[in-house]
Amino acid sequence: MTYHQANYDEKLLNEYRSGNDFKFQNFDEKSLPENLLRKNLRLPSIAEYDVIRHYTRLSQMNYCVDLGIYPLGSCTMKFNPKFADKIASLTEFNSIHPNQNEKTIQGTLQIMYELQENLKEISGMERVSLQPLAGAQGEYTALLIIRKYLENSGMHDRDEIIIPDSAHGTNPASATMAGFSVIEIPSDSNGGIDIDALKAAIGPKTAAFMITNPNTLGVFEPKIKEIASLIHSSGALLYYDGANFNAIVGVTNPGKMGFDLVHFNLHKTFATPHGGGGPGAGPIAVSKKLMDFIPSPFVDRKGETYFFNYNVSNSIGKISSFNGSFINLLRAWAYMRYHGKDGMYRNTLRAVMNANYISAKLKGEYESVSGDLKKHEVVVSSENRGKRALDIAKYLINNGVHSPTIYFPLIVHEALMIEPTEDVSVDDLDRYCQLMIYALHSENSYLESLPNALPITRANEVKAAKDMILRW
Amino acid sequence: MNDSEQHILETLKIDTAEKLFSDIPNDLKVSLTKIPNGITEMELLSEAVRIARKNKVGNINFLGNGIYDRFIPSSVDSILGRSEFLTAYTPYQPEMSQGMLQALFEYQSLICELTEMDFTNSSMYDGATALGEAMRMAYRINGNKKVLLPENILKSHLSVLQNYGSGINPVFEFYKLDATSGEIDIQDLKSKITEDNCCIIVYNPNCYGIIESKIDEINSFKGNSILIYYYDPVSLGVLKSPGELGADIAVSDGQGLGISQNFGGPTLGLFSFRKEYVRKSPGRIIGKTMDKDGKDAYVMTLQTREQHIRRDKATSNICTNQALLSIASSVYLAIVGSNGLKNIALSNFSKAKLLQKKLEKISGVDPYIFKGIFFSDLVVSIKTNNNLEEELLKNGIMGGKTTKELLYISPAKNIKTFFFSVTEKKTEDELDLLAKTLEVVK
Repeated sequence: MTYHQANYDEKLLNEYRSGNDFKFQNFDEKSLPENLLRKNLRLPSIAEYDVIRHYTRLSQMNYCVDLGIYPLGSCTMKFNPKFADKIASLTEFNSIHPNQNEKTIQGTLQIMYELQENLKEISGMERVSLQPLAGAQGEYTALLIIRKYLENSGMHDRDEIIIPDSAHGTNPASATMAGFSVIEIPSDSNGGIDIDALKAAIGPKTAAFMITNPNTLGVFEPKIKEIASLIHSSGALLYYDGANFNAIVGVTNPGKMGFDLVHFNLHKTFATPHGGGGPGAGPIAVSKKLMDFIPSPFVDRKGETYFFNYNVSNSIGKISSFNGSFINLLRAWAYMRYHGKDGMYRNTLRAVMNANYISAKLKGEYESVSGDLKKHEVVVSSENRGKRALDIAKYLINNGVHSPTIYFPLIVHEALMIEPTEDVSVDDLDRYCQLMIYALHSENSYLESLPNALPITRANEVKAAKDMILRW
Repeated sequence: MNDSEQHILETLKIDTAEKLFSDIPNDLKVSLTKIPNGITEMELLSEAVRIARKNKVGNINFLGNGIYDRFIPSSVDSILGRSEFLTAYTPYQPEMSQGMLQALFEYQSLICELTEMDFTNSSMYDGATALGEAMRMAYRINGNKKVLLPENILKSHLSVLQNYGSGINPVFEFYKLDATSGEIDIQDLKSKITEDNCCIIVYNPNCYGIIESKIDEINSFKGNSILIYYYDPVSLGVLKSPGELGADIAVSDGQGLGISQNFGGPTLGLFSFRKEYVRKSPGRIIGKTMDKDGKDAYVMTLQTREQHIRRDKATSNICTNQALLSIASSVYLAIVGSNGLKNIALSNFSKAKLLQKKLEKISGVDPYIFKGIFFSDLVVSIKTNNNLEEELLKNGIMGGKTTKELLYISPAKNIKTFFFSVTEKKTEDELDLLAKTLEVVK
């Protein structure tokens, strides 16, 4: 296959000269005092047909999951079902104002209620808040809950969060943002929790331990119950980073493992489209002892009537303007309703099968990191063959498939972190692995010349940071 | 189990997929019970429509206070529906994602034009969280803790600010609004500024819906304080910009720029600032550079401020943002253009004024308790013992939230005040109907 991405040398919006053709009634600005008025506004003057052509061309210079495999590790780029687009476009859902009377939004509240119930079941937790707008905000919300819970329990001086060195960057960032100090502990050779290091880190100041399980090497932490009891007996809380939830839906859950708080990434596990970087949705779920600390309100039901329940006695308050990223919540609801418990379980199995298949296919070529048994993702290193992960990535994109996450987790040199998800055929997995192996056997000088089938060759990122051209 | 799955199992030399979970101890295994089995697409769509119909649509909408029923050109949804944008991830491989990166660079540029600020990041979650991040950024700039806020701030914004203050422990102090004009009491604000001030938060239009006429005076006495300016992006079609009025950081919610009401989410957090503070700023930023052959190229830049590089020393924990919605706002601004946005803004002013005229004739109703100029939200005092919101709804009208419910401090204690919000979409007939209905139900 010879791949070439569309390349239009597309000019910037403000370089168009076709002239604005928007029709609207004219009003006289003399109705306002002159001292309030701006002197000029310099938006582009471009005809509607050119706006559409401009953005259509730009769209064609962009890879997406509708074009093929997008196996960014920890990002869970699964197929975004089109029924969810259709449901999200219903006027009855997207034309609703957040301050509407509850009598007029019973459908919206029902969706939120059912989603809360589903997330409770999937996480094994007691109460859900749909308010956080993304995974990182879910983490931050959970940390605020941890803080308030500790304060209410007379444990004000617990201000340390323990985080493994393999964690997602948002974990330490959220923890410091919430006012905690971060204690980083090393992983063992398998990428798992080093129990001795954890024991050494736990102390009277420990507020919580934040981990993801399976970890960022795609390996399930077998000692999780021992870890949970270590944390709990010290008086601290255990936090579950839900970025890797796709490995465990319907198989195990954070509640069972002993976690106290969880965040979800609906744009990962439940297939809501990621829009080139967002929007996401990052609901949280908490155990019984934290139920009264979540953001207020949550959705409740009395008979057949749904309502906002503001009765959250120790609520941290609000974390975003309104009640969460509703359209994403709706899409996630649709995914869950369509697949159901049987389909979601099958998706988990297939996602893990696909990751293990990739691992098996790359074995003997790439250096394998951690043991043979993977969950939803696999991390390999190209260091053994003297190849840079960046160069492998450029080879892949030059062949019309997206690269894995590279240089993460930080504990692996020349890391390539591959998460195929359940939505890839065996033929596509074979082709992907073949490309990865071809890349490994290519000359470095050739790899460094790539890409050459895309609109640009390698972009100079150092120059971008130095020049700081951030607008036209 | 289909052929492909059989092939995978054979390759892995196992007989069932469950074997891949042998590393999970049996006592941790669960199965979902309460969630029903899956259904067909045909069943799903009819169920979704059935639930959707439980929502009542078709009422006349006079709700506002942050989310507005504005006109959206058809082209916006047409572009947003393109799966190349909709189903893409963050552009981690710039060579393969130039389209998205250029679109985001243009978004940053458009918002800079609109606000006349130096730089804009490639989006925050929503208006309230953008405000929270602005406060944290101000703290990073001057290290001070005292935050001056208007006493009529939205309760929801105040709560988000309190939560975004975690770890920096800001001290909130509220400045007054003038009881006659409904504008900032500049003297009161001035008297509260001390040497250790972190930032001054101003809203324009303010949380009563009134346009501030004296913001530029703040510059003469603000000292080292960071001026955080919360604007309405549509109003900037005609009003002086935050940049011109001396804002250091300008934030808002971009919902009015081509985004459906969506029950409040997703929307778009707009975040702009002065050039010199760029390294203290939160969030993703797109920069222009060149490729190896000297061709223009766009990349995510200044990433050493961000969580995936800087971890616990990052300026913010934000990762996922609202990229798709920033494209919505770009398409909107490109379609309506400078003149279109000006007329849309003027239409709001004109309709707010017209509504005041319609209401002034009703006894017990006073739309002029404040002398200031209203943009979209309008505070009206009404003598009533009824639950107006409920009564209006019976007549097909949504609106009439009390100021007490939404604002930290309401205008005055001895009168009842309510919000009614207009947009360019409201017709004179609808304003007449509101007036007529109020006369009956108050």
